[in-house]
Amino acid sequence: MRFPREDLFSLIEPYLGEVERPSRYLNHEWGAVEEQDGPFHACVMYPDVYDVGVPNLGLAILYDELNRLEGVSCERAYLPWVDMSARMREQHIPLLSLETASPVASFDLVGITLAHELVCTNLIEALDLAGITLRAEERDEDEPIVIAGGPSVWNCEPVAPLFDAVLLGDGEGAVSQMALAVRDGRAEGLSREGILRRLARIQGVYVPSFYEVKVDETSTRWGYAVPREGTGAPEVVYKHCVDALSATEPVAQRIVPYLPVVQDRLTIEVLRGCARGCRFCQAGMTYRPVRERPAEQVLEAVDRGLATSGYDECCLSSLSTTDHSECATMLRSLHDTLGSKGVRVSIPSQRLDSFGVDMASVARSSRKAGLTFAPEAGSQRLRDVINKNVTDENMDAAARNAFKNGYRRMKLYFMMGLPTETDEDLRGIAAMSERVVGIGREVCGMRSKVSVSISVSVFVPKSHTPFQWAGQLPLEETIRRQRVMLTAASDRALRISYHEAETSLIEGALSKMGRKGFDLILAAWQRGCRFDAWTDQFDFESWKQAAADIGVDLEDVACEWFDLDVRLPWEHTSPGVSKGYLQREWRRAMEGRTTADCTMSSCTGCGVCPTLGTHNDLAGRRS
Amino acid sequence: MSAENQLAQRLRVCYGKDGRLAYLGHLEVMGTIMRSVRRSGLPFEVSNGFAHRMRIQFSQALPVGASSRAEYYDLMLPHEVDAEDALEALRRCTPAALAPVRATLLPRRMPALEAWADRAAWQVVLPCAARDAEGVTQAIDDVRARGVIEFMRGDKPRRLELERTFVAYELRTEGESLAMLLETRSTEQGSLRPAVLVQEICGRPPQRVCRLGQWHEEADGTLTSPM
Repeated sequence: MRFPREDLFSLIEPYLGEVERPSRYLNHEWGAVEEQDGPFHACVMYPDVYDVGVPNLGLAILYDELNRLEGVSCERAYLPWVDMSARMREQHIPLLSLETASPVASFDLVGITLAHELVCTNLIEALDLAGITLRAEERDEDEPIVIAGGPSVWNCEPVAPLFDAVLLGDGEGAVSQMALAVRDGRAEGLSREGILRRLARIQGVYVPSFYEVKVDETSTRWGYAVPREGTGAPEVVYKHCVDALSATEPVAQRIVPYLPVVQDRLTIEVLRGCARGCRFCQAGMTYRPVRERPAEQVLEAVDRGLATSGYDECCLSSLSTTDHSECATMLRSLHDTLGSKGVRVSIPSQRLDSFGVDMASVARSSRKAGLTFAPEAGSQRLRDVINKNVTDENMDAAARNAFKNGYRRMKLYFMMGLPTETDEDLRGIAAMSERVVGIGREVCGMRSKVSVSISVSVFVPKSHTPFQWAGQLPLEETIRRQRVMLTAASDRALRISYHEAETSLIEGALSKMGRKGFDLILAAWQRGCRFDAWTDQFDFESWKQAAADIGVDLEDVACEWFDLDVRLPWEHTSPGVSKGYLQREWRRAMEGRTTADCTMSSCTGCGVCPTLGTHNDLAGRRS
Repeated sequence: MSAENQLAQRLRVCYGKDGRLAYLGHLEVMGTIMRSVRRSGLPFEVSNGFAHRMRIQFSQALPVGASSRAEYYDLMLPHEVDAEDALEALRRCTPAALAPVRATLLPRRMPALEAWADRAAWQVVLPCAARDAEGVTQAIDDVRARGVIEFMRGDKPRRLELERTFVAYELRTEGESLAMLLETRSTEQGSLRPAVLVQEICGRPPQRVCRLGQWHEEADGTLTSPM
């Protein structure tokens, strides 16, 4: 049932004095679009609290684009924190949008970001709190069309029953087409199915209800999806791809929140895609091709964005900013113009070589807090397996340069449980980290306060990567390997932290499962699971019981290895990277052979450019 | 006074806090105003420390949920500007519920606003249940006679002496409720929050709290306006 559109702020106002961070629920931030005249109303939602959702650039891009459309208004919604949602449930207050405090269930179109696997129970929580029928196939004709998009769409089967349609790939352009298709379909009196048929014709749009799951000897136990007869849906939905980043609005983020949020700064996307080819990295495979925003456009955008937002920090964001062919030009120019204004410039990660350190130094000028590098594996052998094309010499040179530049703290990211990993590789993590500490003492002196932190996460095999066939490390083995590493690391200047293995196991199980995964998520939510990415809210026992409820074992699911030629649950959705390329990369990994970056050498045959009719779009020559 | 100290490079701005934005915390208000200053294009001084922060001072923190007609900040300028032009620029770039209402230039060297503005007046609408003026008066007199309020802030027990911090009060009717005009003084030992007093005398939080004004109390007891 569609809820009436009305301002219900007065219903939550009495509780603002009782809940944590009431500013999450206030609206009227600088840059928010106040006029919401419609007549077509869309609502974009991030399924976590306001302070986590506001910095999301994808949502900001869609909000900006939809609000520019004639006759279309777009608002935002976030999931209330547990204190507020408990009061809302007690008082039967539905989930509200931010701008007009209207029920989310009163909108024509609701778009939800699939940020990562661990928001899955939040998706159900959000729809349930909103009063929207959970399963898309059971929704009334007049209920909102609920769509999804974002980085975690690449095995969306476990949450697919919640959505009328899922947008694969870049949102720019496609989200407008979707909104207009829904608007026009409603105006013409089309049925819900009629509207979905129109949506399915848009490049990148996957309509889950148009596919059925089959399980046979060619598939895993989770089966594969094929189009239902008579729907006209394609066998494979390829992603929507923007050819040139320069054709998109560089200052998408216009809303300035009142409360400190997780990335409290202006973000300008300088580059989309990465062709380095790390074999574990889903983003590296699914955001191809590489598209750079020209330096001139970036500099203008920073200037404009800072003037209109008032931020005192600007982040040049991408998967690998220091790979941008005009990175040095951009950072030096920003350093010259912004340093005296008290504006900081940051880049999200450093390339693991001297150039990366140089760029970080230019960006941060006087702030030498610390540097973060991601060698990912401790031995050269394993780094070749994962195609992380860095050497011990690169690491040593980067560390020496960083310490010489005044940095005293360094953070190193590694993964545990990568295919072919041995105890020797784990001891290599400790050895590499201790070598970095040694370089620090050599450069800065024995009494200097050099410290190196190591963060070790558990490898989760992801769809559409060369490692998608691999199984995850069992919990007991993870703990044993953690001990191996701890025993090997003896220097007191090293600080070691681990990503929690239990949350990785949930992530791993949901990354492997097909549509059956929805039963697991629903059972977990019914047992009270939500905000699973929050350590203090995560309840592993409830997840285990939920798995038992539906007759599966989490470890059994996450740790399963698939045959290389089996049909996988996500093969009907594609980022353009061919299965043949992924299989080839798997074989090269097993042989310890690396593959070059196609933006710095010749084509490596991933299949994206010919399949999507696109190409890498660089602003200059990379080196 | 040296020539440098006489330079009018301190822009003192009076602003309100109203509507939904009453629920902003002090740090959130500070962040919002600093961003408003940057948007306005006004010149400002930057500290030379680790983080290169804007040189700005704020008057005492207002409790979350309280509105105000008289909050203040001092922005340190690298050179003099026209106060009216500055006010207009700030008004354009600040959320309406925190909009500045007055601005004036003051000498650069002055005591920090937070410590200097040590007197405040509040309008406090008491809980609906507290309608008996005589009973409320008696409860206030009892609390003042005890001379101290003990309360919890978060999970920490606090104790506040009332002799210096509670200056005066007056009860009046506002609609169907009872309102209190309360005058308080902040000292080195602490300051009296209206909600703490109302909780003590009524057993419930107030319906609304609004800070009406802030002043500096001279040695002879006269009050000096920040503007």
